[in-house]
Amino acid sequence: MTTPPPGSSIDVTGLSKHFGAVLAVDDLSFSVEPGRVTGFLGPNGAGKTTTLRCLLGLVAPTSGTATIGGSTYHDLAHPMRVVGSALEATGFHPGRTATNHLRVLARAGGLDEHRVPEVLDLVGLADSATRTVGGFSLGMRQRLQLAAALLGDPGVLVLDEPANGLDPEGIAWLRAFLRYLAGQGRTVLVSSHVLSEVEQTVDDVVIISRGSLVRACPLADLTAGHGHVVVRTPTPQPLVDALAAQLPGSAVIAGEDGAELLVDGADAATIGRIAFGAQVELHELRPAASDLEQVFLSLTGGATS
Amino acid sequence: MSTLTAPTTAAASPRRRLVSAELLKVTSTKMWLAMLIGVVLYIGIGVVASIFAPEQPGVTTPHLSTAAGMRNLFAQAGGAYLFAIVIGTLGMTQELRHQTLTSTLLAEPRRNRVMVAKMAAYAVIGAIYGAVGVAFGYALALALLPFKTHADIPVTAMWQIAGGAVLGCALFAILGVAVGTLVRNQIAAVMGVVVWVVLVEALLVALLPKVGKWLPGGALNGILQTTGFNGAEYLSVWAGSLVLVGWTAVFAVLAALTTQRRDVT
Repeated sequence: MTTPPPGSSIDVTGLSKHFGAVLAVDDLSFSVEPGRVTGFLGPNGAGKTTTLRCLLGLVAPTSGTATIGGSTYHDLAHPMRVVGSALEATGFHPGRTATNHLRVLARAGGLDEHRVPEVLDLVGLADSATRTVGGFSLGMRQRLQLAAALLGDPGVLVLDEPANGLDPEGIAWLRAFLRYLAGQGRTVLVSSHVLSEVEQTVDDVVIISRGSLVRACPLADLTAGHGHVVVRTPTPQPLVDALAAQLPGSAVIAGEDGAELLVDGADAATIGRIAFGAQVELHELRPAASDLEQVFLSLTGGATS
Repeated sequence: MSTLTAPTTAAASPRRRLVSAELLKVTSTKMWLAMLIGVVLYIGIGVVASIFAPEQPGVTTPHLSTAAGMRNLFAQAGGAYLFAIVIGTLGMTQELRHQTLTSTLLAEPRRNRVMVAKMAAYAVIGAIYGAVGVAFGYALALALLPFKTHADIPVTAMWQIAGGAVLGCALFAILGVAVGTLVRNQIAAVMGVVVWVVLVEALLVALLPKVGKWLPGGALNGILQTTGFNGAEYLSVWAGSLVLVGWTAVFAVLAALTTQRRDVT
């Protein structure tokens, strides 16, 4: 095995795209670094696919730029050796075999056709190499897309909703595979509309909603400052008053039944001490469990419908 | 990007590898074979009808006992142009229908190169259709002619018709790629092309040759030097070639221009 190619950074700067009256991407800027898996997140229709298609030269931006290693996709001399991509709504001719599909791309991209059986093996499709794609399941098509992306052994991978249609086993495999690729120093950008799908895979997140950037940060930072504490008590009001008096920086959100409180800006120990001092009976006191999905929904306006 | 160590192939020029990829696209599915069978059947019917069809009262088509009649018979072998334009049309519309255009443009984002390569590849396919049509049509005609009284045809005329048919089919295949690019919808494009070639243009060429000879199909009649109803004549070989090349060039340029910045979604 040769040493893997170094990844290049992806830079999106002031990118906007109008489709007629629809503003699909609105002044979007973010960067994606090599050696890390970056989740490109947002609800359906947020503009993820349009952004990726601008990056890959398929859609002309109305304004702004999207570059790979400082170069537009159009200006890459051998694009498939630099960027491997798998986009949604990319099709296959149903009457063409998996091998021939990849051979066509290898030839067009100026790549060695010996890579074809290698990448089919890599994505677990070796046994289906000579079958026509018309008989492939959605999961197999996703794997074939990934195989196409890997043909040129690229330093940058751009994958649009790669987990769609994969079974749980396939998703676990994909996770490990993406981690492995990033571990080799490659740049991996993965889009998804479900944070939990990529939560265990990504290092960084870029979250967009309605075409605009919401957050771009390491995944760990997403929850920082969102460390809610769940408190359950039969007498909420005295506790709320005590918290307001002793911790002016804290905020309290009442739960549905009134007995459950969500406290922000204080850890469980502090809240427990205050409750003890105010002689408030507690039935539950715990840091809120991983509420990433909650954070995600609140950041994107919960617009998943 | 000199630091990248991905496998490199021999320095095949981008043009050659793209044409080769387009040809592999054609041969890796079965459509080209179905169309080739169509070529053989269509030309077979044309040749048999030309030799054995009873004379129509009222219309004067050149008889096999004349040189013009013999040219018309052998020109039937150029009938592959219908299939050449259809496979060219399919070549582009299938990419749109099956959304393979995305992969195609990811492999080569310079769209003009892709367009030129596709047209070149389909010119090759068209020329092959033309050559197969000529070989089969000539063989059938030569096998059946002894059953009828007929004039002789010079070998040079046979070669000239053969060359014209191959050239015409290559150009019609390019025209098909261009039409497919402009129309985009596969069913509309193929239906449009077939109705145009078989019906509209054929009628104009036959019944209104003064106009029809300037159309692509009429120009092909000029290239093949056929004779129409009541002795109607078409353009000269050279004028016909120029007119057909002109039509092809106009459509090809229009197709390339519309593809330059169109969003692929």
